[in-house]
Amino acid sequence: MDQALTIVVSVLASMATLLLISVGLAVIFGLMRVINLAHGEFLMLGAYAVLVATRNGVSLWIAIPLAALAVGVFGLVVERLLIRPLYGRILDTLLATWGLSLVLVQAVSIAFGPATNGIGTPLGSVRVGGYSFSQYSLVLIVMAAVTLVVVYLLFTRTSYGVMARAAIQNPAMARALGIDTARMNMLTFGIGSALAGLAGALLAPVAGVVPSFGQAYIAQAFMTVIVGGPDVITGTSAAAGLLGGSYSLVSYFTTPFIGQAALLVIAIVLLRVLPQGLSGNWRTYL
Amino acid sequence: MNRARAVWTSPWFQPVLVMLVALLVGTLATDFQKVTLALWVIYGLVALSLDFVWGRAGIFSFGQTAFFGVAAYAYGVIGINLSPNTGETVTALVGAVVAAAALAAALGYFMFYGKVGDVYVAIITLAVTLVLLQVMTSTAGPQYHIGKAQLGGYNGMTNIPSMEFGYPGHPGDQMSQPDTYNFVVLLAGVAFFFVRVLLRSGFGRVITAIRENELRTELLGYDVRRAKVIVFTVGGAVAGLAGGAYAGWGNFMNPAPFSLPAAALIVIYVLVGGKGTLVGAFIGTVAVEWLSTALGGILPSSTTLVVGAILIGVVLLVPGGLTPLIGHLVSRIVPSPPRALRKAGVGGAVGGASRGQGLQTQGLVKMFGGLKAVDTISLEFPAGELHCLIGPNGAGKTTFFNLLAGRYRPTEGTILLEGRPITRLLPHQRAQRGIGIKLQVPSIYRDLSVQENVWLAAFAKMSSTRQAEAAVDRVLARIGLVERAGSPAGELSHGEQQWLEIGMVVASSPEVILLDEPTAGMTHEETNRTVELVRSLAKTATVVVVEHDMEFVQRLDAPVTVLHEGRILAQGRLSEIRHDQRVLDVYLGRTFRVAGS
Repeated sequence: MDQALTIVVSVLASMATLLLISVGLAVIFGLMRVINLAHGEFLMLGAYAVLVATRNGVSLWIAIPLAALAVGVFGLVVERLLIRPLYGRILDTLLATWGLSLVLVQAVSIAFGPATNGIGTPLGSVRVGGYSFSQYSLVLIVMAAVTLVVVYLLFTRTSYGVMARAAIQNPAMARALGIDTARMNMLTFGIGSALAGLAGALLAPVAGVVPSFGQAYIAQAFMTVIVGGPDVITGTSAAAGLLGGSYSLVSYFTTPFIGQAALLVIAIVLLRVLPQGLSGNWRTYL
Repeated sequence: MNRARAVWTSPWFQPVLVMLVALLVGTLATDFQKVTLALWVIYGLVALSLDFVWGRAGIFSFGQTAFFGVAAYAYGVIGINLSPNTGETVTALVGAVVAAAALAAALGYFMFYGKVGDVYVAIITLAVTLVLLQVMTSTAGPQYHIGKAQLGGYNGMTNIPSMEFGYPGHPGDQMSQPDTYNFVVLLAGVAFFFVRVLLRSGFGRVITAIRENELRTELLGYDVRRAKVIVFTVGGAVAGLAGGAYAGWGNFMNPAPFSLPAAALIVIYVLVGGKGTLVGAFIGTVAVEWLSTALGGILPSSTTLVVGAILIGVVLLVPGGLTPLIGHLVSRIVPSPPRALRKAGVGGAVGGASRGQGLQTQGLVKMFGGLKAVDTISLEFPAGELHCLIGPNGAGKTTFFNLLAGRYRPTEGTILLEGRPITRLLPHQRAQRGIGIKLQVPSIYRDLSVQENVWLAAFAKMSSTRQAEAAVDRVLARIGLVERAGSPAGELSHGEQQWLEIGMVVASSPEVILLDEPTAGMTHEETNRTVELVRSLAKTATVVVVEHDMEFVQRLDAPVTVLHEGRILAQGRLSEIRHDQRVLDVYLGRTFRVAGS
């Protein structure tokens, strides 16, 4: 019973982690169709932002939203300089953001050194019978759920959300209706970047802060969004649940090595069975 | 001049040239420099594999370093376990190639049979590479070993044997570094030659066709999915050869080739060398490696930074890659004329004598969400007859056409060709059964010549170059484009492009021809010629025309079916239908009176 509870918490934490690292990509890649290979580095920047803030005496709970904000602003700049000239040239976007990713990794390792920086995991752990889990896992789970709801409502229930989706789906029509599509795209990219920064910031205390921070997550994030399919938010959360759950269970009963491999195999086989992704036939809103 | 060009484009010339240059450089280099040079040749081989799948077949793969890495590990595992007993590493090298090819084939199967888009292929191959990085990095513990080979996690696998050619009991001499260089050059030359021969074959032209226009290639009856898996597997095997050579060269392998910077380098080699040139893969590799070695002396910690900056710079400032800049040095390889082709086994000879049943649909339904776009249509198109489908916008004509063509799968109902169900067949399988399809928007290979367009269509069915060439001449005469045979198809007028596409459909001698608005966008005179062309088609095949232009339908003088809201509203000759009050109400009313007055 106690063991079951810890397993449940660890499975939920895996799902939450996958959801957090994917949701920004769901906006930028799933919704905007911009392939941002520097997504992992946006996560990494979020983690380093928290590192810098906490070292300067800022409380972790304030540092996390600050990091999201900082990466969001950075995203706005990247959109303006690098992404905007390349809309409609998908492969070029991919190559350019790939170059950005290499530059960011190298720049950060020159600035902060290649070594791992730790941020202590706050809050301690909960003991349940003979087992224990970190309270911070609960924070991750709650934050993932809150993020999901906020993003879903933002894109479905606000006038910004409707205009942003209009600007992506039919730019010419949106412009004819008086929407400034360039500004909308910049804002949406910024929101996606902020979500990535938030994820990196939240994960910083549980993962070591290193320049290669993003590389550990980017493959999983893209897999999750692709498996999620066309309904980006709901599909991505379903995929995060499925992939995160199976990774965590397989890892628990075997080794993380096999868990990683299982995640990859499940994702690839799913693409053969459901080429449109999980949400291919859902017809939900987003 | 033509002689020179023929030699340059022959399959053996460039590989031999690359080998000679490499061996010449080898004689000038010290043994120490040859160690580095061998590495460059190995990287060039990986770049070649990428240029083949990306530059030539249009599949953007980030997976080449994954195949490279898996092959290197395979060489290590087999070499460490077998070579002490067998005295050779040929099995290890072959095993490396097989492992890489098998991974590529499996991955290709899931991607291309799942019909995932181009961009997704890029991301999935990248994700596979990165997950391999994580997986191999986490194999540090002593429990991760295969036989005597320790995987070694991030520190890597050590004591991999150098290449040797002995046999059990008589171990060969392990190759010295200068010999390794010569051997690697030989491997690269042979692989390069093999790739060039493959591209010169009929299959090579199909690869080009897929890159230029995937949909049209599928409609011609080529199995695009299978062709892509084959290309991807060959690309994987070439990268695997490089991987095996790498492990034998360095006696060491770690997960670094699975990382993002490593994958990026291969793409940069190809971009710098000139995408699609093949020989540029080697030139680009040497140029970039030479530059980064030079820079590495000045800015040791910033190599990745420079690589990333080069990537951004090339994309933003030189969007076409550097090919145009070195274009006059490396002459672009021009597709060879059909006569130079060898016999190849793509597509199969199909189609027997018509059995006279033509094409039938039974209770065909297509739902889009809650909308019934096609509502229980049962129709017969008897063999050897011309039939027109008309109806106002939204009547379901195009949906019905796409059901016949196999681009949509019906929600209910069956489609019979010569009495046999084809309901669940894919477009290319229907094409092989003898259905020729012309879509509304001209779908041709714009960069290929008119002759080559028709040749591809004929070759889909005949798989004999001589037969295909004979068919090309017949078809060109029939569609009246003999004089334009050598022009790029993209230079034809809109009407001529429509005829060319009809010609491509005819070239495969189909039993049933489906035409979607063949006169769309044509001038009056072009329409007149099209009437004659379509009528002549009906002499040898069942022809179904979906049309908007009432005058055209009237002049075809064929049985007409009127669709309305997804159902059959009326059938008969146009002269009878024009008096049908319901038809006049929904559709013909104004249009027809204007046209018929």
